[in-house]
Amino acid sequence: MTAQRRFAGRTSAVMSERLGAQAAEVIDRDTSFTFTWNGRPFPAYAGDTIASALAACGVRVFSRSFKYHRPRGLLTASHLDPGCMLQVGDEPNVRGAHRQVQAGMQVRSQDTWPSLSYDVKAVNELARAFLPAGFYYKTFMSPQRMWPAYERVLERFAHGGDAPTADDVTPGRYDKRHAHPDVLVAGGGPAGMAAALAAADAGAAVMLVEEEQALGGHLRWGDAAELPQLDAMRAAVASNPQIEVLTNSVVLGRYDANLVAVLQRGLSQVQERLVKARAKTLVVAPGLIERPYVFAGNDVPGVLLSTAVRRLVNLYAVKPGHRAVVFTANGSGDAAVTDLERAGVDVLHVEDARAGGDLVRVRGRGEVKAVELGDGREVQCDLVVTATGWTAPVSLLTMAGDVPRYDTRSARFRPDPTGLPPDVLATGGVVGDGTLEELRAHGAATGREAARRSAVVASQRGRQSTSTVGSKPSVEIPALPVSDHLELFRSRTHGIVDFSEDVSSKDLYVAVAEGYRSAELAKRYTTATMGPAQGKLETVNVVAIVAEASGRTVAETGTTTWRPPYAPVTLGALAGREREPIRRSPMQPWHESHGAVPLIAGAWVRPDHYGDPAAEARAVREHVGIIDVTPIGKLDLRGPDVSRLLNLVYVNRWSKLEVGRVRYGAMCADDGVVMDDGVTGRLGPEHYLMSTTSSGAAAVAEWLELWLQTDHPDWQVHVTPVTTAYASINVAGPRSRELVARLTDVDVSAEAFPYMRVRTGTVAGVDGCVLWRIGFTGELGFELHVPAAYGLHVWETTLSLGADLGVRAFGVEAQRILRLEKGHLIVGQDTDGLTRPLSAGLGGLVSVDKDDAAGLPELAWQQQYGDGPRLVGLATSPASVVPPEGSQLLATDGTTCGRVTSSRLSPALGRSVLLAQVEASHAGPGRELRLRLPDGRTVGAVVTDGLAQLDPEGVRARG
Amino acid sequence: MLVPCPWCGLRDAAEFRCLGESVTRPDPVGVSTQQWRAYLYLRDNVAGWVTERWYHRMGCRQYFLVERDTRSNEIRSHPADGRQPR
Amino acid sequence: MTASRPWGNSGPRAALAGVRQSFARRGPDRYSALALLRHGLTGQTWSPAWRTRDLRRSYPVVIVGGGVHGLATAYYLARNHGITDVAVLDKGYLGGGGSGRNTAILRSNYLTPEGVRFYDRSLDLYAGLAADLNYNVMFSRRGHLTLAHSDASLRTMRWRAEVNKLSGVDSEVVGADDVKRLVPHLDISDQTRHPILGALYHPPGGIVRHDAVVWGYARAADRLGVHLHQDTEVTGIEVSAGRVTGVRTTRGDVATPLVINATAGWSSVVASMAGVRLPVQTFPLQAAVTEPVKPFLRTVVVSGTLHVYVSQTARGELVFGASVDPFASYSTRGSLDFVEGLAGHVLQLMPSLAKLRVLRQWAGLCDMTPDFAPIMGHTEVEGFLVDVGWGTYGFKAGPVAGEAMAACVATGQPPDLIAPFGLERFAQGHLVAEKGAAAVGH
Repeated sequence: MTAQRRFAGRTSAVMSERLGAQAAEVIDRDTSFTFTWNGRPFPAYAGDTIASALAACGVRVFSRSFKYHRPRGLLTASHLDPGCMLQVGDEPNVRGAHRQVQAGMQVRSQDTWPSLSYDVKAVNELARAFLPAGFYYKTFMSPQRMWPAYERVLERFAHGGDAPTADDVTPGRYDKRHAHPDVLVAGGGPAGMAAALAAADAGAAVMLVEEEQALGGHLRWGDAAELPQLDAMRAAVASNPQIEVLTNSVVLGRYDANLVAVLQRGLSQVQERLVKARAKTLVVAPGLIERPYVFAGNDVPGVLLSTAVRRLVNLYAVKPGHRAVVFTANGSGDAAVTDLERAGVDVLHVEDARAGGDLVRVRGRGEVKAVELGDGREVQCDLVVTATGWTAPVSLLTMAGDVPRYDTRSARFRPDPTGLPPDVLATGGVVGDGTLEELRAHGAATGREAARRSAVVASQRGRQSTSTVGSKPSVEIPALPVSDHLELFRSRTHGIVDFSEDVSSKDLYVAVAEGYRSAELAKRYTTATMGPAQGKLETVNVVAIVAEASGRTVAETGTTTWRPPYAPVTLGALAGREREPIRRSPMQPWHESHGAVPLIAGAWVRPDHYGDPAAEARAVREHVGIIDVTPIGKLDLRGPDVSRLLNLVYVNRWSKLEVGRVRYGAMCADDGVVMDDGVTGRLGPEHYLMSTTSSGAAAVAEWLELWLQTDHPDWQVHVTPVTTAYASINVAGPRSRELVARLTDVDVSAEAFPYMRVRTGTVAGVDGCVLWRIGFTGELGFELHVPAAYGLHVWETTLSLGADLGVRAFGVEAQRILRLEKGHLIVGQDTDGLTRPLSAGLGGLVSVDKDDAAGLPELAWQQQYGDGPRLVGLATSPASVVPPEGSQLLATDGTTCGRVTSSRLSPALGRSVLLAQVEASHAGPGRELRLRLPDGRTVGAVVTDGLAQLDPEGVRARG
Repeated sequence: MLVPCPWCGLRDAAEFRCLGESVTRPDPVGVSTQQWRAYLYLRDNVAGWVTERWYHRMGCRQYFLVERDTRSNEIRSHPADGRQPR
Repeated sequence: MTASRPWGNSGPRAALAGVRQSFARRGPDRYSALALLRHGLTGQTWSPAWRTRDLRRSYPVVIVGGGVHGLATAYYLARNHGITDVAVLDKGYLGGGGSGRNTAILRSNYLTPEGVRFYDRSLDLYAGLAADLNYNVMFSRRGHLTLAHSDASLRTMRWRAEVNKLSGVDSEVVGADDVKRLVPHLDISDQTRHPILGALYHPPGGIVRHDAVVWGYARAADRLGVHLHQDTEVTGIEVSAGRVTGVRTTRGDVATPLVINATAGWSSVVASMAGVRLPVQTFPLQAAVTEPVKPFLRTVVVSGTLHVYVSQTARGELVFGASVDPFASYSTRGSLDFVEGLAGHVLQLMPSLAKLRVLRQWAGLCDMTPDFAPIMGHTEVEGFLVDVGWGTYGFKAGPVAGEAMAACVATGQPPDLIAPFGLERFAQGHLVAEKGAAAVGH
């Protein structure tokens, strides 16, 4: 049988390597189906993983390695298996040794061309001596302009699944759920199950999370004599109503205050579900992960870990090879020998590390041919099994603050219980070794203690602090023994340390020799541990080899820092369903059915225009128009001390505002920068209505509360945000008075209702409305605030009653044009994050003769020194040019002296109108500047006298 | 992170807005520009326990003080009544 | 994989020993394709990129912080000004702070003329850096898109574009269709919550291999005689009569008249050792990376409205970032809120990415200033200089900051390029106007 035929797999895909029934098997031999692998059909049983189904048919090569494109097969036969990352349909990077195969599934190897067997990029291996880790730092430097070409070459070798297509047609459905278990147990092996049962018996609500498809941990594929205990524990868990079990689910991370993220997979209704569990206590029981051994040829297909072999034989009834050599240093390796013999594998030799044995080299390219032992003997075989040690997966514990310490005697990093917060406990293999009875006893005691502590946490969360555990006596947890283990990281040859990243121990030696001596630097330089397993398989070997290469102990060299997520999680699951609300005014249905083009303005959707903004603006100037201004911030202020608050937050004086009057105000923060503006009207002796910009509504409300709560708790002022309690309609134009008169019982004659006054009354039959006369558009106008439920009614009534007057709706764009013709500024558009009142044309408003005001010292300083730019109007020549907002203004010597902040074509004037921020020295009326258009041409721009370019006296609004 | 609101108890930090380390606002009348700008801009920015002001934006809408260790994000109620937030 | 590999075996090695000896002890190797070939053939090891030194009792210049800023400053002091007797001290490994945690996006499309000039000088330096340092920093100029989701945002993009153009920097406002052409995976329909209206397109922007920049500067500085001291934490700064006289470290005391604070995240802590208070608050900035997939995203995509930025490395991983955490902290632990929010925003932009998996999240510490601009130059303590306050935009400025701080040390005066960034600007009320461009600008 040549290597090539092995590569290509059996020509007829039959389960040639499937064993007879095994006691613990999870496959259902009564349910079989087919799926495709690289286009060819293969059989499978229900319960098979993709890897086990293929292995049962004799497939040994599943992928090609990242850098050198060496053929790779199974190594761990678990979720972490680096040799088995596959493309399933349109889903890249699927873990083939964990994903259950489904009928009709289309599975392909990743990044192999033209095929898995004959991958062209394998030519890299010949160049391996010239392409050590980090080689790209030493070349491709010049000429610099060639880098894009070099980069394309490097990208060709980027290893990973297919990129998503731009128009993905199979959007997944993802969901989220909040949970509040008393005790969350991460890991469903014997210790985890014992903890869950004990915690439940102690009265706790328990959530038990297990990464595999079924509970049991290593019991599932371990000693068959322990299977009855496994069944009993599973039954006890299943029948306990206090325990919620999530299988095929993984704990992604433990965040502050035991916020635990759990990813639930394999659901029918949704692709994946993110469970956000705020656990009171967390019990971490992840077991142990078996470590690979580093030696020459350790990545050749046919080299497996003992746990891989035991899984394949016992769970999936798959014969992993025919003639095996086992290198063992512990009980798992010994048990693997037994399992292999039972499966009919010819175990040619057992090399015992405890007796001084070693493996030095595997021979073979596409598959194992022979192995060289420590004493130089060579054994021809097709399967090499190693059992050289364990890594404690301490990630959840380190996320909780644990700093693992290296224990030479057991050859692993172990958690330090004193570093854990009181609401996190650990049990099982991650803490120590022991018999099944010892693990169960430890788990049970831990579960009882977790339940006790959860009760304490529960009472604390009703109170103020997150610290201390409480005074009840804690449960005594018996110590777990920790078995001695030989320190076996690397043989005397060099081999692969990070299988996913194709980093060898030689690379690590080279990195250390070149000065990248700390574990962190060595990892970054070689990219070791940066693959999908994120170090779970390789970190300890990396640290040990860096220690070896730099002449230090493992403990001196480093520890393992683990970051969330523990397992890779899709963006879809993290995002869940989109939940960003949008605000609509009550009149929005009318806007939509009348052709409004929507404008997203922060949290709101508004009508930008209804088809012809210039015509809308003209209608306002000539007849009357109405606009929906509901998003304007509105705050109801009541109490005897309101005027003191207004005096504090506005830059102008507010100690006297008579009932019925309205005043414009601008606000600054303590740094003297303009923060917001609006009008405030006095509706009664202790009743005011404040308006703010739409985007500033929430901020201003918080700002007022800040002053009242922290500086003046003695003042009596109540602030109630009423932005959405009122629908707001602005009626503007020469005929607006006529129209409003038809709507309201309030006397709107010029004498009874002058400019900048406020009245309350009935509008369109609706009580409790507020009307004020203001002039943002520069026309005679009234702003109506009506209880929101009646907004649409008032809107429609206004339009019908004003039909003969030529009323039409106008949108935000028309309003922008109108206000610009009048030179009215918009905070946040004509001002920025540094604009002070003087630079907003508001210098005249500022009064510094106060005991206190926001930003008072800065306002006084501005008055004295007066620097900063000025807000000016501009007229362009030619006058028809409408430059984009943001265009730069240049002085005659070509230096920048300002920018255009607002720019529109004025229908009323037939030319462009502009506002700009210009350096004070260039801001005098009549000053000539150059304006730069985007294409580089410049036109003339003259500073106008005053900001208003239409009706500068303001006659129309005051009528 | 859970924040101990004096009125609502321990709530998720996402419900709040943090206003930063508690600083004393000088009397704006008579203060020098130098002192005012020191109040505006200079901060201790301690790596350790700090007294800071929080606002329960999606809750009781009250301002209050807490103490927090900026190295570990351990947080505790203000020893004096945090409901007096200045 | 045959036994004739020259690793650790005799035979071929012995035959080449004579050849090797002629190369040995020549000094630091020069990197090049030819040298790779030679080393591959002979099996000779490369000389270390930098040397381990004893900490002397005094240095004329001590730089606190062994990230890109500190190392670049040391390099330019030696190269441009012949000041080689410099110590760079880092409490951990080189580049272990912000330099090792950022998302490595380079651009110069800032809002203010002084910002544009400054960052563009940095881009110029980056463009020639690999050749200058003889270390491939992998600067990939692949274009940078800042999306606009509102007319206010478009207005700011236009402002930036015009300021950029006047300074000779290539930037232009493009429409939604152009955006789609550049990045087909973006959803430009009006069905999204924040429809894309256009973008600021900046062709010279791109990404770089951040670790390589640190290592390149370290190696080059070391070659010129600078002393690099890792695992050397500064625990105190001696100040006497208003001037610096030395530093205390975990490896002993060092006398020096000049200390440069080039730390990020720890700048206030270090400054307080000298009795200096800074207008800085430290916030974590989180980032995340996905598993690698085949390259499909050539442009760096940033959205200010959605607080997210995305790029794809040559290895195929997508790198994401967002804005700083909502409260100050020195913890780099990372939060669930961050990845959830980030994923939600990324998928709003590019819905087809839903099946890509996040592999790892991490955080770095950012020193935020009131005006989103750094603090460079002298302080009220003589001999105590700062190169701090780098917020979320520090890595892209490493080269120019190093060049400018070196000039500041050598001449005693901050060069014009960094004059707007002096510490005194806060007391003077002359804050820099970068707020619009820097926030979630990467």
